[in-house]
Amino acid sequence: MTPPPAVLDIRNLSCRIAEREVLHDIKLTIEAGETVVLLGRSGCGKTTLLKCVNGLIPASRGEIVFQGRPAAEWDPFRMRRAIGYVIQDFGLFPHWTVAANAGLVPKLDGWAADALEKRVNLVLDAVGLPPHEFGARYPRGLSGGQKQRVGIARALAADPPLLLFDEPFGALDPITRFELQRHFLELRAHFHKAALFVTHDVREALMLASRIVLIKDGTVDLVATPGEFLSGATEESRAFLASLDGGGRTNESISRA
Amino acid sequence: MDRAKIFARLSALLLGVCLAGCSRQTPIVVGSKNFTEQVLLGEILAQQIERRLGVPVERKLDLGGTLLAHEALVAGAIDVYPEYTGTALTTVLKQPGRRDPQAVFEAVRDAYRHQWQLDWIPPFGFNNTFAIIVRRGEKLTTLSEAAKSHSWRLGVGYEFRQRPDGLDGMLKTYNLRLSGDPVTMDLGLLYSALDGRKVDMIAANSTDGLIAVRDVAVLEDDRSYFPPYQCAAVVRRATLARYPGLGDALRELSDRLPDRTMRRLNYEVDGEHHPAAQVAGEFLRSLPRR
Amino acid sequence: MSPFLAREMLTLSFQHLWLVVIAITVASAVAIPGGVLLTRRPGLRRSLLGFASVIETVPSLALFGFLLPLPFLGGIGPHTAITALCLYALLPIVRNTVVGITGVDPAVREAAVAMGMTPQQVLWQVELPLALPAVLAGLRIATVTTIGTATIAAAIGAGGLGVFIFEGIASVNTAMILAGAIPAAAMALVADEGLEWIERKFSRV
Repeated sequence: MTPPPAVLDIRNLSCRIAEREVLHDIKLTIEAGETVVLLGRSGCGKTTLLKCVNGLIPASRGEIVFQGRPAAEWDPFRMRRAIGYVIQDFGLFPHWTVAANAGLVPKLDGWAADALEKRVNLVLDAVGLPPHEFGARYPRGLSGGQKQRVGIARALAADPPLLLFDEPFGALDPITRFELQRHFLELRAHFHKAALFVTHDVREALMLASRIVLIKDGTVDLVATPGEFLSGATEESRAFLASLDGGGRTNESISRA
Repeated sequence: MDRAKIFARLSALLLGVCLAGCSRQTPIVVGSKNFTEQVLLGEILAQQIERRLGVPVERKLDLGGTLLAHEALVAGAIDVYPEYTGTALTTVLKQPGRRDPQAVFEAVRDAYRHQWQLDWIPPFGFNNTFAIIVRRGEKLTTLSEAAKSHSWRLGVGYEFRQRPDGLDGMLKTYNLRLSGDPVTMDLGLLYSALDGRKVDMIAANSTDGLIAVRDVAVLEDDRSYFPPYQCAAVVRRATLARYPGLGDALRELSDRLPDRTMRRLNYEVDGEHHPAAQVAGEFLRSLPRR
Repeated sequence: MSPFLAREMLTLSFQHLWLVVIAITVASAVAIPGGVLLTRRPGLRRSLLGFASVIETVPSLALFGFLLPLPFLGGIGPHTAITALCLYALLPIVRNTVVGITGVDPAVREAAVAMGMTPQQVLWQVELPLALPAVLAGLRIATVTTIGTATIAAAIGAGGLGVFIFEGIASVNTAMILAGAIPAAAMALVADEGLEWIERKFSRV
């Protein structure tokens, strides 16, 4: 029996924005249950790569293959609904309740009302926001951490095979950020999704990744597990490691994960 | 800066302003109501004063109505404006109308002099009565015929409904029936409204310039409802006293504007769109010296 | 107050209201979709907003006068007044629609698109509801100013409360002027308060 296709296969992807080649010949595969962290400096192209996956930014060359089918063969809206998306500024609809926000994609997909309600309750519980307490509230009354939990619930609601995260915890205070990073790991264990996670925080990368893909100037500099990353095989990875305090505490952050 | 210096400079400035003010004469203010004929007459009066007296003249033309102009004159905001004897009698003095033009003139002249120290210069020479006008196709000649014919959609200016010599009296005198409420609009638009069949009868002026060139008929006031409306300059006695030559300058215009001349001048503005000031100037220059 | 005056005040008030309602309705029908279109085509934005701004600078009486000689839109009567009032109402409504839609948090728009909403769904379920307070504010401004400007309609035979005002000025009849001005002011006040109440209901976000 042929093995199931990778959830996401990025083939020779290049992206040109305003005459500048922002991404060059990216090759990457992501399997179910994996968290691939795109690590890199600001402006290296990691967010552009993320947005090429769900078509928010068009690629100039190469292709995205999602669940075995090239993106060109997908209905673009259907494909996006099958990919969860969590962003730094939350992007919750201020005029919708928490429950409505969470249930956005199932509603777009036309789920029946009771199935939808059950699913929304499930994901809200999973992110630590009891539905009877939070479901009818509006985003403006929530803290940053709570808002992002809703964002994650929204991404999970339609049970997509792939989730995209764009520096999701960047706008949160360090304590909340740590809580949500821990929570992310719990969710991953529970939901077993493929995730592509963009960050410039090497600590976060080491904590959350199954694999780290280090992006430098639009190309892949290094692909490694967190443990392998610590050995500093490339100059860029060494620069990141040096940014940790002496590199001494990294083993502790890994053992905590 | 040193206080003495500031004081010196301010005093010099103040002195300069005073001197400048004193050397200027206060202008004579000419007013008018807000339709073409009035603006033309205002310009004629203003230019006549300018060329005969050499005194600066300020124009306050286009005032919004009879009583507005009258109150401005009484208050001294204007020194002179052109008024119609019939209007003064019925609308300002609120007396019943009369037929004899001379009687009307003397009545208003005496009343104005007595109540407000205002003088009526002998009239320009034309009679601008309310002209009730219909399209020529109606084939009517008198108001009585019109009243017997059918009910009318009437177009009026801002004064006709309120004036004692206006709508109510006319309807009663002729038993005229209206179809709906009268349509109010700026006087200048009445002919367009009649043409465009928005209304079927308009209360316009008998010296309107457009009467000759539009396909209209002026209905005869066969029951003499409207009083005579001879037009004359009404001026403050105080102003006449302050400017000795003013009375003569104004009297020079008396009896110089017969109906047909006034109508022609109106037409040059309304029909040919020449500026009123220009038409007024040409008229004055055309007058033979007395 | 004489029964004639009361009856006429009612008639003129209804005429006035009619002018305003038609003008605002037509203006909204053009300006709101127009505003949405301008947010999609930034290139058009400058020229069309510029056009509406120029109209705004034309003094109202002058605009009424300009339209008079035109074949369809002009002539004596209410339709000319409605055309002028409509043109004046365009700018506040268009501008507020544009501001309302472009003012939507970019993160919200990005999330909506990324989660798989079609452009129509984004417009109707996200952008318009969030722009609604701004659009209503524009409607409110347009309505209140139109009620005032509509008094000029009387000069061109379109009726409305301006009739009392012009006739009152001509005969220096203060009571008559007030008979025109007070109902107009009251109308403007009611419109302002009423629309603001509606605005507030939609502004809870």
